[in-house]
Amino acid sequence: MSLNRIINKVEYALFRHRAAVLVLFVLGTLYLLFKATQIQLDAGFSKNIPLQHEYMHTYVKHEQDFGGANNILVSMCDASGDIFNANFFDSLRRTHDQLYYIPGVNRVQVRSLFSPSTRFVEVVEDGFAGGPVIPADFVPDQRGLARVKENVEKAGIVGRMVADDYSCAMINAQLLEIDPSTNERVDTIQFASTLEQEIRNQFETDDISIHIIGFAKMVGDVAEGAKGVLTFFAIAIAITAVMVFFFSGSLMLTMLPIACSLIAVIWQMGLLSVIGFGIDPMSILVPFLVFAIGVSHGVQMINSTGKRVASGMDAKTAAQSSFRKLLVPGGVALLSDTVGFLTLLTIEIGVIRELAITASLGVAVIILTNLILLPVLMSYVRFSKKYQQRAALGSPTADRVWHHLSAVATKPVAAVVLVITTLLFIAASIQSQQLKIGDLHAGAPALHEHSRYNQDTFLITDRFAITVDYINIMVETVPNACTHHDIMQRIDDFQWQMVNVPGVQSGVSLASVAKSINAGYNEGNVKWRVLPRNTQSLVQASAQVETSSGLLNRDCSVMPIMLFLEDHKAETLSRVVAEAKKLALELGDDDTRFMLASGPAGVMAATNEAVSAAQRPMMWYVYGAVIILCLLSFRSGRATAAVVIPLYVVSMMAMALMTLLQIGLTVSTLPVIALGVGIGVDYGIYIVSSMSQMLKDRVPMRQAYYEALKERGSAVLFTGVTLAIGVSTWVFSALKFQVDMGILLTFMFLVNMLGAILVLPALAAFFWPKNK
Amino acid sequence: MKFACHFRSFVVCLIALFPMAKGYASPQPQPAVKAVLAAQSLLTDIVVLENNRLVAVGERGHIIWSDDGVVWQQADVPVRSNLTAVYFIDDRYGWAVGHDASIVHSADGGESWQLQQFAPELDKPLLDIVFKDTYHGLAIGAYGLLFRTQDGGQSWQSESHIELLDEDEQDYLLELKDDDPELYALELSAIFPHFNRLYRDDDLLLMVGEAGFFAISEDFGMHWEMQDAFYHGSLFDIAMLSSEHWLAVGLRGHIFLTEDEGDSWQEIVLSSQATINSIITVDDVVFLSGNAGLWATSADGGLSFSAMTAAEGRPIVNAVPYQDNMILVTELGIQILDLKKPE
Repeated sequence: MSLNRIINKVEYALFRHRAAVLVLFVLGTLYLLFKATQIQLDAGFSKNIPLQHEYMHTYVKHEQDFGGANNILVSMCDASGDIFNANFFDSLRRTHDQLYYIPGVNRVQVRSLFSPSTRFVEVVEDGFAGGPVIPADFVPDQRGLARVKENVEKAGIVGRMVADDYSCAMINAQLLEIDPSTNERVDTIQFASTLEQEIRNQFETDDISIHIIGFAKMVGDVAEGAKGVLTFFAIAIAITAVMVFFFSGSLMLTMLPIACSLIAVIWQMGLLSVIGFGIDPMSILVPFLVFAIGVSHGVQMINSTGKRVASGMDAKTAAQSSFRKLLVPGGVALLSDTVGFLTLLTIEIGVIRELAITASLGVAVIILTNLILLPVLMSYVRFSKKYQQRAALGSPTADRVWHHLSAVATKPVAAVVLVITTLLFIAASIQSQQLKIGDLHAGAPALHEHSRYNQDTFLITDRFAITVDYINIMVETVPNACTHHDIMQRIDDFQWQMVNVPGVQSGVSLASVAKSINAGYNEGNVKWRVLPRNTQSLVQASAQVETSSGLLNRDCSVMPIMLFLEDHKAETLSRVVAEAKKLALELGDDDTRFMLASGPAGVMAATNEAVSAAQRPMMWYVYGAVIILCLLSFRSGRATAAVVIPLYVVSMMAMALMTLLQIGLTVSTLPVIALGVGIGVDYGIYIVSSMSQMLKDRVPMRQAYYEALKERGSAVLFTGVTLAIGVSTWVFSALKFQVDMGILLTFMFLVNMLGAILVLPALAAFFWPKNK
Repeated sequence: MKFACHFRSFVVCLIALFPMAKGYASPQPQPAVKAVLAAQSLLTDIVVLENNRLVAVGERGHIIWSDDGVVWQQADVPVRSNLTAVYFIDDRYGWAVGHDASIVHSADGGESWQLQQFAPELDKPLLDIVFKDTYHGLAIGAYGLLFRTQDGGQSWQSESHIELLDEDEQDYLLELKDDDPELYALELSAIFPHFNRLYRDDDLLLMVGEAGFFAISEDFGMHWEMQDAFYHGSLFDIAMLSSEHWLAVGLRGHIFLTEDEGDSWQEIVLSSQATINSIITVDDVVFLSGNAGLWATSADGGLSFSAMTAAEGRPIVNAVPYQDNMILVTELGIQILDLKKPE
């Protein structure tokens, strides 16, 4: 067989030039370690966006005129519950100025009581009077503050720039993608820490609290929390090491697989840095997964070598023979992981593509570190006589356990196992129907509910009529459309009907503002709050609004309808989007198109739709890759089915678990299912490949499985339990995202292991009926 | 809409383009949209019927009714123009008016409404309506709009009362009438001030409006007598506290009181500068509602008022006493003010 010849050649080359191989690895590792230390956390707004989605075409098209969706809200609250005091206004002004000058802030869009565009109009006996809400001659004494309070009411900005109960004031800013002064990309995480240092630390006092929300701040907080992730990695690695020591009984055999798995992580990080990638805070767990998969293969390798040493081989022969034995199953498992992760590239969301590259790169280097470096290293190990003797004795207890366990490969027991599996699968399928797309909770789901960020979100949602959760419906129409009553009326109707949709808090558009201005022109009489039918009056009303308001472009051929939402839960978004689409058909025509969507919630809606659309293809691709590689290596449909079916059951159960944990399918959780398949496929392939020759030789099924368990089962069982214990400590993480992932991964490590040692042989019992 | 004009169809094209040139195609009345938030939308007027039914009107053709002040139903209304006033003559018969010179009528206590007038081409809103019985009614509005019905609103006739202009304007119009009938018609549609509010006491009508306009009729609006202006700003409501004791309110917190049937007026000082929209009387207590959440109370027959802020600082257009509460119609819709427990 040609494959055998290739393996022979490789084996010969590697073990003949062991020193050279080691030198190469040492040099490579040193270089990549150096590179890995330069890797940075990297988060950007636009890479979380499905730029190919139709909503995002609308978003990108109008980004220039109407700003992006990367908003920052800074709310300052006075402890006394009333902002109208000199100290507060001084602080507010200084904070406004400070924010204005932070690099990356779109200065045109910084809005607060102190921005000149915050104006009021009022009606006096002989017409109109108006001016900035904070007059040029503002003195923060009792009279001056009373005047500002009056102006605030006249300007109708209560709920937007001032809290409903006057306890807080808001500064609204937008973050640019590119800093115009340096022409470089704005570093979101850096920006978030600048906010913390130059805004919160500088201006927060006992009297004034500062609350900051927005994508950049959220990512900053996640990145801050991600630092703690390293501690949990260390704990998980330590636990794994202790367990491997108990398993192998040799310090050397403990060190080697752990070291090789860590080298895989170093290589992964180094290579990422070499190709110019960073690590997204949401992908921070991937290096640990690489470590875990590495350990899984490493344990197989030391297990196999150890067993061979016990049977009397010397270290080099044992390592060489293990290499030959495990290169194919290990290689197939790792390749199918790699290909599976690579298929995530088809999903047109930047951050998932990054994850695809990060994860597939990591898994691919395990082939080098744990299938090549590890056996070469082990060939140098000098096993003590004591070890050899102890290993040679074997473990009669374990053998008894394996014997009992092998009963699942007999039809009566297998039938019971399969019935239970089927029932679980049905239950999981039904439950997984509940899997929701998008965030299921208000605030940032990656952070705990009691985190500062989420508390700030709740406070702002509570005290203001606005949040960062707004969606813009872009009305694309004819030039000077704001002079057409019919078009303005439709915009107004659209807005009103959307405001009636549950989950929409309030709305604003040129039409609604023009109505108020028209009332203003009619002595402030709200009975005149209409869109005038005659063109002159309509022009008079809409001409008052400047383009800087973000409600129209220069020739008012584009007018957004801003809808502020109560939250960005998946169901809220999908309800709002569905209703908006319905109304767009009803009220739109060829000249006036109500286009979805812009604004942070619009971006989220698009992302949800992209995630939803990607969910199925992603599963197909990942399973497709696994199935094809299994078919190629086993050349058996039955063997492939025996590996894949338990994996699929576990995928389904993982989705059901996500619904029970109230985890929605988002950009950050979508790849978890694919990663789960990657974790699980190893177990199945190792066991089936160990059995396949025996099955061909018509060895009875129970016998074959018993042998497979003795050879590799202990490693599978051990790996599953060890990694599960390691990740289960994550429930104590400060990052809610890590807690969720910890639970999901614990589940996947354990249940995939159970699938491989219980369901797989049960299936095999029926797939190979002749092996009695 | 785009029109391709070929020579042959040039005339057709001109006709087709004409309504566009005016800025709008002649619009048809569209029924109001039923909305969950109708009771929280901008409301402009409210009445309470003798059977304790409340009926309120507001923007987008919203008419809502309630029998307890808590649970509100939105009625089917054939127009979606903003409504500005509502008037019921008894438990069943009522009318509401609004923009596009719309008039709608109900014969079942406000649960269903029929269209009596819709005239968007006038481009003027009606602002108030009164009836003296189920047949005779008067609707007034912007630019001197005045419609009368003698048949319960089956038909409405427009009236122009030259006597509601000052003498110079009257002379100017009479001159035009002979010289330039076209310009006369045009001026007639624009020369009058806005008529904002009517107060009816049997056949006696008091009418206030733009720029201090104030007129009295003793025969339900057949003939009017202009009164000397006592204020140059707009007046939004007038009420008789007793037969010779009247109160008028208007722009920027202005309050005027007469104790001699309007012969002489004294200004009452209010601490707020918000425009006052309506006068509400409950027994001997006078309440005023206004913009910026203004809610003022007088227990001394209007000689002095104490003001407070209600409705979250949003405009309060009108109110009715209901049980022990005051039901306000505001920019935020229905708001309930507990009268027993002043804030």
